[in-house]
Amino acid sequence: MPRFLHTADWQMGRTYSRFETEDGAALVEARFEAIEKLARLANEHQCQAVLVAGDVFDAQTVSDRTIRRVFNATRAFPGPWVMLPGNHDAALAESVWTRAQRLGAVPDNVHLALEPGVIELAAEGLAILNAPLTQRHTYGDLTEAFGRYETPAGLVRVGLAHGSVQGLLAGEIDSTNPIAPDRAQASKLDYLALGDWHGTKEINERTWYSGTPEPERFRNNEAGNALIVDISGPGELPQVQVVATGRYQWHQWRETLSVDSDLDQLLERLQNLPESSVVDLRLDGLITLAGEEKLQHGLSVAEARFRSIRCERSNLQLAPTDDDIAALKADGYVGDVIETLREQQAGEQGEVARDALAILASMLKTPAQEAGQ
Amino acid sequence: MKLQSLKVEQLRQFRQPFALEHLQPGLNLIHGPNESGKSTLVRAIRAAFFERYRSQAVDDLRPWGDSAAAPTVELAFEHQGAQWRLVKSFLKRTRCDLSVGNETWSEDEAEEKLAELLGYQYPKRGASKAEHWGIPGLLWVEQGTGQDIEQAVEHAGDHLKSALNALVGEVASTGGDAVIDDVRSKREVLLTATGQPKGDYKKLDKEREDLQQQVDDLQLRVEQYQGQVDRLGQLSQAFDRTEQEKPWDDARRQLDQAREQLQQVEQLEQQQEQEKNTLAQLVQNRELLEQNLGHLSRLDEQRRARKAELESAERKLQQTGQQTAALAGALNDARAAYENARSQLQLARQQEIRQRLEQDLRQSEQRQQALSQNLARAREYQQQVDEAREQAKANRIDTAAVARLKTTARELNDETIRSGTVATRLSWQLQPGASITLDDRQLEGQGEQQLLEASQLVIPGVGTLGIAPGGEELASTRRKLETLEQSLDEQLQAMAVASVEQAESRASAWEVAEQKRKHAVELLRSVAPAGLEPLETELAELQAELKAVREKLEATPVSDQEVQVLDLASAESALASAEKRLNDAEASDRSHQAQLLTGKQARDNAKAEWLRLEDEANSPERQQQLTRLTAELARIEQQQVSLRESMAKREQQIREARPDILRQDIDRFQRTIQTLQQTQEDRQRELRDIRVRLEAWGAEGLEEQLSEKQAELEQCQRRYQELDRRARALDLLLTLLTDKRQALTRRLQAPLQKHLNHYLSLLFPNATLEVDEHLRPGTFNRGNELGQIAELSFGAREQMGLISRLAYADLLKEAQRPTLILLDDTLVHSDQNRLEDMKRILFDAASRHQILLFTCHPEKWQDLGVPPIDLQKLKS
Repeated sequence: MPRFLHTADWQMGRTYSRFETEDGAALVEARFEAIEKLARLANEHQCQAVLVAGDVFDAQTVSDRTIRRVFNATRAFPGPWVMLPGNHDAALAESVWTRAQRLGAVPDNVHLALEPGVIELAAEGLAILNAPLTQRHTYGDLTEAFGRYETPAGLVRVGLAHGSVQGLLAGEIDSTNPIAPDRAQASKLDYLALGDWHGTKEINERTWYSGTPEPERFRNNEAGNALIVDISGPGELPQVQVVATGRYQWHQWRETLSVDSDLDQLLERLQNLPESSVVDLRLDGLITLAGEEKLQHGLSVAEARFRSIRCERSNLQLAPTDDDIAALKADGYVGDVIETLREQQAGEQGEVARDALAILASMLKTPAQEAGQ
Repeated sequence: MKLQSLKVEQLRQFRQPFALEHLQPGLNLIHGPNESGKSTLVRAIRAAFFERYRSQAVDDLRPWGDSAAAPTVELAFEHQGAQWRLVKSFLKRTRCDLSVGNETWSEDEAEEKLAELLGYQYPKRGASKAEHWGIPGLLWVEQGTGQDIEQAVEHAGDHLKSALNALVGEVASTGGDAVIDDVRSKREVLLTATGQPKGDYKKLDKEREDLQQQVDDLQLRVEQYQGQVDRLGQLSQAFDRTEQEKPWDDARRQLDQAREQLQQVEQLEQQQEQEKNTLAQLVQNRELLEQNLGHLSRLDEQRRARKAELESAERKLQQTGQQTAALAGALNDARAAYENARSQLQLARQQEIRQRLEQDLRQSEQRQQALSQNLARAREYQQQVDEAREQAKANRIDTAAVARLKTTARELNDETIRSGTVATRLSWQLQPGASITLDDRQLEGQGEQQLLEASQLVIPGVGTLGIAPGGEELASTRRKLETLEQSLDEQLQAMAVASVEQAESRASAWEVAEQKRKHAVELLRSVAPAGLEPLETELAELQAELKAVREKLEATPVSDQEVQVLDLASAESALASAEKRLNDAEASDRSHQAQLLTGKQARDNAKAEWLRLEDEANSPERQQQLTRLTAELARIEQQQVSLRESMAKREQQIREARPDILRQDIDRFQRTIQTLQQTQEDRQRELRDIRVRLEAWGAEGLEEQLSEKQAELEQCQRRYQELDRRARALDLLLTLLTDKRQALTRRLQAPLQKHLNHYLSLLFPNATLEVDEHLRPGTFNRGNELGQIAELSFGAREQMGLISRLAYADLLKEAQRPTLILLDDTLVHSDQNRLEDMKRILFDAASRHQILLFTCHPEKWQDLGVPPIDLQKLKS
């Protein structure tokens, strides 16, 4: 009764340009930890094998260190690993895989499916039918060959492929590397383990995308899982269990502020997020100077709590109330300037006007506070 | 604000209470000599307002030497309808009391109220200084400081502005200028004055560019890497396929086949070559045979030719012999002709000589005749000459003398005629037969006589009449007549002639003879130029010559008249042609003899030759040889024909096999194999190279580097954007703030400018004085004079200072602020004219403000129209 762990899209070697250096490094580190976690899970669930459905590496020319670290991270699970080249790490004439082999970094228990065909894991009761990408992009269905592969009668037929299932994910993923949606049925597969889609997704009862084990973008919110697949024997239906593996949760919120309570709600929601969050806020609408101050404070608190928080406020207009201006004690022409800036926010130079207004407000506030003390 | 009274006590020279009362709302002129207390009163007013009542720094208020004094000032004034009263004591008794209407304030409260009213500050400690004085500092002018307006305006600045704000309804920002400074200093961190990035902002921009460059470089290398990977894939595929297909094997098979074919053709070519040699030998043999045969047949031909030659020689000889007789005849004829011609020539010569002699004789005879004629004529001419000479000799007369004679005769004649006119004419007509005697001459009949001298007429019978011609002239005429008659006689005598006519005829006869002589001489000279003698000699010689010629001619034989004698030239030419004919005939004869000899010899030779050939041709060996050669030739010809046939056939075979193309095929296949293998080897090499290169490049982790670099760039970009946004925001802010502030200042300046213009037009018509952004009088413009106040003369500056202060006062008045003006001995530097203008200005200003003018020169101000207050008088 074979049981295996299905994972994909590790994208090792990726860096995170949108974050500060320190945050980016932590997120990279989390991906290595995710591999270690997968190995531990395989042990915990007594899996016979681990199947990686493509894009182990984010690029062909990652550093030697990254290559070694990836294979080192698999060490905890001594059973067979089958790694399939995806579109980021296609099995080209010279590839990250040939380099790994040359480096001697690939442990014996890791099978590299660099050529189309079958890898028989007789001891584990599995026949893995591989459709590796040998070019960066293909426009034909590589899994079509599965139908022609004969496998020993006693072994469970498991397809391993990387690409987009036609008709289901249209618009989300390039139409390159297409895979027929009825491939499992057509090629008499017991299970088709897919990669490329970073969120966990069931295509049909025998066809699944595992998603990436550690989220790395704000889209595909079903990311951060691995699948434990049980198949009692050839022809039997697979039992698929989704196991969370991700460390960080990625949140992207687009909010429009119009009244004070909007801001309060937003800050409360932020408050409720776990610390292992990566947050991207994009705000528009209007905010009072008092609100701005409150938001600033809230973000400052969040920055300390979360792995990363970024807030895009260029479309959020500052709308000082009369109370705000009174509090700033901005009389005379300075008051005029505030009014002018407030009006200019809606114009072409809106962003600059907003910044200018914020600067002016902060300047006026500081001596006012000093005076207050 | 109107000051009504001022009282001082225990204050400097005023140890006793002193009061200045009944001050007028307008102009008050307070005068007194130096040290009469004017300045003390001014100081007292200042102290009442500016100095803190509990200040210890007001020692100067104390009367000299009185340490127990408590200097006290008491002021009463009206402001906005309310009555104000201020009492302030310093030093020993410190106190301040202020009452406004029914309300009272004291101590600090009272002081703050005053400061707010007038617009000034108190010092934190110590004595009050200019910077604290605010508006009063501007309106209260101390002695000698009237021109220093700028400092005063600065110290009054905030108070002025707040007054102005009230006026124009604007609010100047409380901390506006501080905000501008702050914004400016924050902007300066990021931008230069001209708006160029600086500091971190500039550095980030550069960094951003550098990173972009690095990213681009990496990108390029990644692309190169991917290109190489693609190439590797293509190459290794091509390499494997080629290794499997081995295309060169096929080429090699084709090569072998072509080689075999070529070998066969080459064998054929060899055989062809051998047969060609055989054929060549045959041809050679045949040529030899034909030569031999030719040789034999040529012998008969020679024999025939020789025979023909012999016959022809015989014929020639015969022909030559036939000519002999004719030629000999011709020779004889020629000889005879020659002889004849020679004798002809001799005859011609003789005749020629004779003819010439005869001609000579004829010529000489002719000359002799001519000479004789000439001689005869010459003798005749000679005789003529002699005759003419004789004649001339007979008629010789001097022609000049004749001329003179003629002249004399004519004069005499003329004179005679004249004498007739003057002479007494005596005419008579006598009866026939009567006579009379005149001077012894008998007169009868009728007549006439001229009488030149006294005459006597005797009339017979009558007596004698004496006639005496009258006048002197008659006498001179008679004398001249006598002289001329005498001269004529003498000349006639000298010439031995009787009369003038004779003399003339002789002269003409001489001339004729002379003419004749000259003519004869000419003629003689024409026939005998050298005279007669040479002619005679020449004639004699010619006669001798003639004689000799005649003798010679007689000696010469006379030719036979019968024989035709040729002339010499014809005879000579006939001889020459005869000679030529003879020569020709002789030459022909000689050549004929030679021909005969040659012809004989040729015939003999031909005969001998012919005989030799006859012998040879008739020998038996030759006949045998001829038969043999003919047979041999026939055999060789047959062999040649068969050989040629076989060669043509083989040639066809060779041509059809195309050995040239076969060789090209071999070359082509060899090259193909080489190229195919070379290409494969090249692939292998390139594969190796690319693998090595990719290994090296792969180890660099290019894409990971790129990704890291991109992250760095993006972060740099973000930071840059932040600074950029901040810079732009600060720029905008600064621009807005300064713009607004300027706009406000401009609005504030307007009312002040209005008041300033009012006074200025009184002082300097057509001049302008502009107010700057700090509300200070700035640029002064008068006609074409343009400059700052500070550049004017001291007097003018003082005047400008004063009108500016008055303008401020007007402004404050409009803003309903108190405006008390104190002037301590002001305008001392103004000339009379200016002072007059300033008085008009002051009088005008006094209609709106209370003015206290302290002076020690009351006479200067007596026309201000107000009663002066004499301090001396008040004190006493």
